[in-house]
Amino acid sequence: MTEAGSQGLSRVKEIYQDRSHRVKALKAEGKQVIGYYDIYPVLEMLTALDLVPYRLLGDMSEPITKADTCLPTVVCPFIRSVMDLGLKGKYDFLDGVVMAHACEVAEKTAHIWRIYLTPAYAHFIDTPHTTHAAAQKQHKELLKDFKKTLESFTGKELSAERLEQAIRVHNQQRTLVRELYELRKPDPPLVSGVETLQVMVALTSLPVEEGNELLRQVISEVKQRKDGPSLRPARLLIWGSVIDNIALIDMIENIGANVVMDDTSVGSRAYFSQVELTEDPLDGLAYRYLVELKAPRTFRETVLSETGKKDYMTDLENRFGYLGDYAKEWNVNGIILQAMRYCDIHGYEVPGLKDYLGNIGLPNIYLEHDYSEAALAPLRTRVQAFLEVIG
Amino acid sequence: MTDEKKKRAISRLKTMYPLRALIDGMYEQAVEASKDGKPVAWCMVNWWGGDVILRTMDVAAVYPEDYSAVCAAFGAAPAYLARSDSDGFPTHMCGYARNCLGYAAQMKDLGEIPPEAPMGGMPKPTLLLSSGFFCDTRYKWFQALGRYLDAPLWVLEMPHPGVKESRMEGVREHNINFLVEELREFIAFLEHLLGKKMDWDRLEEIVDDTIEMNRVWHQVNELRKARPCPMHSRDFWSSMPASLYMAADPKVTTDLYQKMYDEVKYMVDNHIGAIPEEKYRLAFAELPPWHSLGFFNQLAERGWNFVVESWAYHPPKPIDLSKVSNPLERIANLTYQYFSGYFEDAFKVGDWWGYFAHPYLEFVKEYQCDGIFLHPLLTCRTATNHLLVVQDQLMRKLKVPSLVVEGDIVDLKLFDPADALRKAETFEETMSHYRTVRKEMGLAW
Repeated sequence: MTEAGSQGLSRVKEIYQDRSHRVKALKAEGKQVIGYYDIYPVLEMLTALDLVPYRLLGDMSEPITKADTCLPTVVCPFIRSVMDLGLKGKYDFLDGVVMAHACEVAEKTAHIWRIYLTPAYAHFIDTPHTTHAAAQKQHKELLKDFKKTLESFTGKELSAERLEQAIRVHNQQRTLVRELYELRKPDPPLVSGVETLQVMVALTSLPVEEGNELLRQVISEVKQRKDGPSLRPARLLIWGSVIDNIALIDMIENIGANVVMDDTSVGSRAYFSQVELTEDPLDGLAYRYLVELKAPRTFRETVLSETGKKDYMTDLENRFGYLGDYAKEWNVNGIILQAMRYCDIHGYEVPGLKDYLGNIGLPNIYLEHDYSEAALAPLRTRVQAFLEVIG
Repeated sequence: MTDEKKKRAISRLKTMYPLRALIDGMYEQAVEASKDGKPVAWCMVNWWGGDVILRTMDVAAVYPEDYSAVCAAFGAAPAYLARSDSDGFPTHMCGYARNCLGYAAQMKDLGEIPPEAPMGGMPKPTLLLSSGFFCDTRYKWFQALGRYLDAPLWVLEMPHPGVKESRMEGVREHNINFLVEELREFIAFLEHLLGKKMDWDRLEEIVDDTIEMNRVWHQVNELRKARPCPMHSRDFWSSMPASLYMAADPKVTTDLYQKMYDEVKYMVDNHIGAIPEEKYRLAFAELPPWHSLGFFNQLAERGWNFVVESWAYHPPKPIDLSKVSNPLERIANLTYQYFSGYFEDAFKVGDWWGYFAHPYLEFVKEYQCDGIFLHPLLTCRTATNHLLVVQDQLMRKLKVPSLVVEGDIVDLKLFDPADALRKAETFEETMSHYRTVRKEMGLAW
């Protein structure tokens, strides 16, 4: 259920501009709100216990001042921003946090958060790095540990029935997000990149059922409206580090492109795989959150040739083939690779990903930035030049 | 000041040289093995689990992390870094990785080891053994090497529980099982790749020798708590790779560590320090500027003795594994002990960063340090992430000050020894001040 008043995209904009407004109201009604970092904490387990998941995001327009006391400048500026907001009390309304081994700096920040912010509830899920059989088994054990601390915190039993119900509701959200992304396939797309990102950010700020209702409203509105994005020669896919602020996409769309697809964690990456309903729901969850989520932080085995050698192009196809599929399905004619400075897991991908995209004939450009609105200005010229290249 | 004087400022242990030679020999042996058609692995430090298996399967191993330090020390790194940069790898990434990527690119172009490669170079590998331990770079780097090498890659996992989570019922067991199963999967991968079977009896022997090697190495470092400290960090850094990289038969390494123990014990018994006059005892975090190690001689002349280093490069606290019958479980327990050996202490005081950060609190107390030299590495998240927390905790809890000097392990452009020395001079007053403060607080040093 949403608050009375605005609906659809208007409501999305309101939430985007004041993310915590709704969860603070829910908290006033007695709900407990749990902050989570990135896409690896298993949200269904929170929802099943009537906890409201609230994603920890940064703020590109807020200078980092407090985090300098505990996170050095050579680490991911996004995580530094998240920590900075925490230290400034902007996440004080949270009843607890769950973090996962999304990347090295996230793992370490989980410990730092505990030391400096002393949350009443904190749990760390040590998500494995590979999809080995042993890693999958370990991941299920880790979810059992998470279940125990959640049960202890809430005083409620996390039954299989509750979990199945939560999985259904989250899967419904994933289906609705897919439906929204389908609306980006026409030319021109029915919904802009900026609007899509605002929706994605809103979803991270609401209980899942409210998010589903909002998505239905948005999809319906977008299908009916006549004033969507205009036709532009460039249809772009944007790949890389987390984007939780519209500034970058707004800049790209304002200079003559439609951003029609993304592969980022506040975007398709978080939603494009469903959880299978398995006899023990933890099996489906463990598999989805380790194996099905596609992000550079998870190492995927290469199929070796008969001689036992690794074939580079086959490896690239295994790792990035889904991007080629996205490009075809969304009729993309250019890709923007972007990563924050000091984001190692994305940084190492860049030459290989450029090789892959070059091999399938997709023009691309790599942009590095500092998670700061002011620092985006110099990138504008580069994007303009890129758009000229792809016509 | 002459170079000769600089060298004398720190008395190097005689028993260090053969340990260092083991590492140097590792490259030569790998090149020979490659020429003889034997398998060669490029490995990440994996804290022994993968090493013992490779050794048992007669795979010659070299460690690009160490080799990048070698390239830095020999001045070969800048060209490799430049190659990596020109191939599009972001310049903020790990100096070791960028050096290795550049090296591999050169090797691919030439079809052979680059002629300028120090110590004979690293031969083309049969396989890559990566590790999920600590940092993302340590598997993403080897994955990126696929651009230049057709060697298959195996990533060995390592659990990283939080301090609180590690205390939950059943967590230790499933983490150890995870490690053991990971090692089994790696063995199956190797058996398939090499077409040979694991010799389990030999593995058992190598595992036991590895445990003993680490026990003796730990004992050597325990002796460094003495005043004056008989062994400077430079000797630690020269000797640690023999354990960390399993550079030789662990029996041979154990014997050399035992000789080092004897030498250091003699110095302790006779009150002989590593430097002429120990005025200040310091801890060092994290890895040193390999390209500028002479800098420590200048500090030694000022009476700075570096008595302990990062937990990450120290052997695990000894653990009784005599009742663990399976060799894979034994080595898994050793690795897990390495990672979580300080968790119990951390838990007791509510310190939630049980590795990297908390051990410094223990070390600084036990080794009675007057200060800590923090060396944030501008291209390494892993070695830098925790330094501000360490700085803060050491001051708040123990009134031990930190000297922060930024630099890099490979890229010498990022380290300014003259500036560091200027900072060091003023830091002496700070250390003296906090000695008084600690005394007033009733602390032991």
